[in-house]
Amino acid sequence: MDPVTRRSFLIKGSAGAVGAAGLAAGGIALSSAAAADEPELRPDEAADVPGPVLVDIEDAATGEVKILVGENEVSYTDPALVAKVLRAAR
Amino acid sequence: MSSHREAPAISKDPVADNTDTYAWRTPGNTVTIITNYLPVEAPAGGPNFYEFDDTVAYNVNIDNDGDGKPNITYQFRFNTVITNPNTFLYNTGPITSLDSANWNRRQTYKVTKIEYRKGRKPRTTVLGRGLASPPCNIGPRSTPNYASLASAAVANLGSGIKVFAGQCADAFFVDLGSVFDLATLRPFQNLHLIPTAATDGRDALAQANVHAIAIQVPIADLTRDGKVPTDPMSANAVIGVWGAAYRQKATVRGRDSGWRDAGPWVQVSRLGNPLFNEVIVPMARKDEWNASSPADDKRFAKYVARPELATLLPVLYPGVFPNLAALNKDRADLLAVLLTGIPSGLIPGFQNFTGTTQADELRLNVAIPPAPTPNRLGLLGGDLAGFPNGRRLTDDIVTVELRAVAGATYPLVDPTFTPDGAVSVIEDGTFNNPGRTFRNDFPYIGLPYAGYDVPAA
Repeated sequence: MDPVTRRSFLIKGSAGAVGAAGLAAGGIALSSAAAADEPELRPDEAADVPGPVLVDIEDAATGEVKILVGENEVSYTDPALVAKVLRAAR
Repeated sequence: MSSHREAPAISKDPVADNTDTYAWRTPGNTVTIITNYLPVEAPAGGPNFYEFDDTVAYNVNIDNDGDGKPNITYQFRFNTVITNPNTFLYNTGPITSLDSANWNRRQTYKVTKIEYRKGRKPRTTVLGRGLASPPCNIGPRSTPNYASLASAAVANLGSGIKVFAGQCADAFFVDLGSVFDLATLRPFQNLHLIPTAATDGRDALAQANVHAIAIQVPIADLTRDGKVPTDPMSANAVIGVWGAAYRQKATVRGRDSGWRDAGPWVQVSRLGNPLFNEVIVPMARKDEWNASSPADDKRFAKYVARPELATLLPVLYPGVFPNLAALNKDRADLLAVLLTGIPSGLIPGFQNFTGTTQADELRLNVAIPPAPTPNRLGLLGGDLAGFPNGRRLTDDIVTVELRAVAGATYPLVDPTFTPDGAVSVIEDGTFNNPGRTFRNDFPYIGLPYAGYDVPAA
């Protein structure tokens, strides 16, 4: 089961800006202040996505999502990203 | 069934449905463990014959310190290939060897040993890779010498470890039709609340196949001190075994035929003691049980302490179980047998107690040598080498558990209790199926029924 470090997460599967990071039980916890500030992926980054990366909105009110990538689950909090996704889904 | 289609969710996912787990001491100071999947295979079920799933992790778990968590796991992962993309057929001619060019869809597997160490990352060791599963038993033209194919698929991994993974005859026997028709146990239908004439039991799995994962391991590889215990009363002599299947948390289906998985592995099926989830756990909690760890089984203990079946038997068989009907106490006997193991002092010369942690595990005292003449009733029949001291392929676990629930084991904890007279005679009635055969050597479980031959003319 491949470990996902904060660095590899940022490089391979990032969907938003990452601020403070910390390990959580069973996965990795990350949080962000503003997804909108994240620069677009470079071509080499976009070409290096490790299989499907799924974002499961755990709690819309707090902006907590679970990112399923590889054999790992990353906890990530980003209210702006969640708002953007949910509005796009309507 | 022992655990065939026993819970709502897993009944829809047969490739991950653990149907039975067996563990017993075998010659040469070894333990053989078999975990079966794919319930009730119809042998003729082609052209897409049964197989393991590449996206499932099949684990054989060993707990040797009594905490309900694995200390050792043997993990089996499969890889399926199609050698001829231009045919709809499973095989285009006789399959006479495991590398036959006529065999179109085949599986290999990898075996990894995982050792869990407190405070450190688990140690993983690949014991074997590219190991061949045999084909399904199609019939005399497609798989003309099936026994040789199955024999060739037994892999020796060194250090005394053997493995096999492939189709086999289901060793489990049970009269499903009677059990699920309001427990109309044949041949006692005449005593039922809705009586009919008594007839013999009918083995619903008499000609069904399963897919078996079998591993034979030196005893010293499994015990907590790495030794072969000789004293059955030693705590080091007892191990807990269960099979479990895992899937990744999410699946993405594409426009083509494939799909991809993502996320951590989550448990979707498990099995230690036969019939635990099937008969003990209420339907509303069966999926939860399948997804949970044995270490957390305390939350299911109340269903063991007051099993629903024990209250049904006196109702369904009026006047037959008066002592059981009057037994209004927690079943300390069943709690011990199923969740902690039997402590010393209850059965002379025997214990398989793993401590106070309540966990559904198949507990095996490996210091008890194999019985020269096994009794199908195991401990109830005075045979210390049989269920619930592990489980052998021939153990009649339906009858044993039926009698235990009916009160046969309650005198172990309360000598003043007298089991009802019927307890010593009730049985499943399917143990003597002459068509069920076993192999003399590993993996012991019988060769699968051939599709061409089932159903018989």
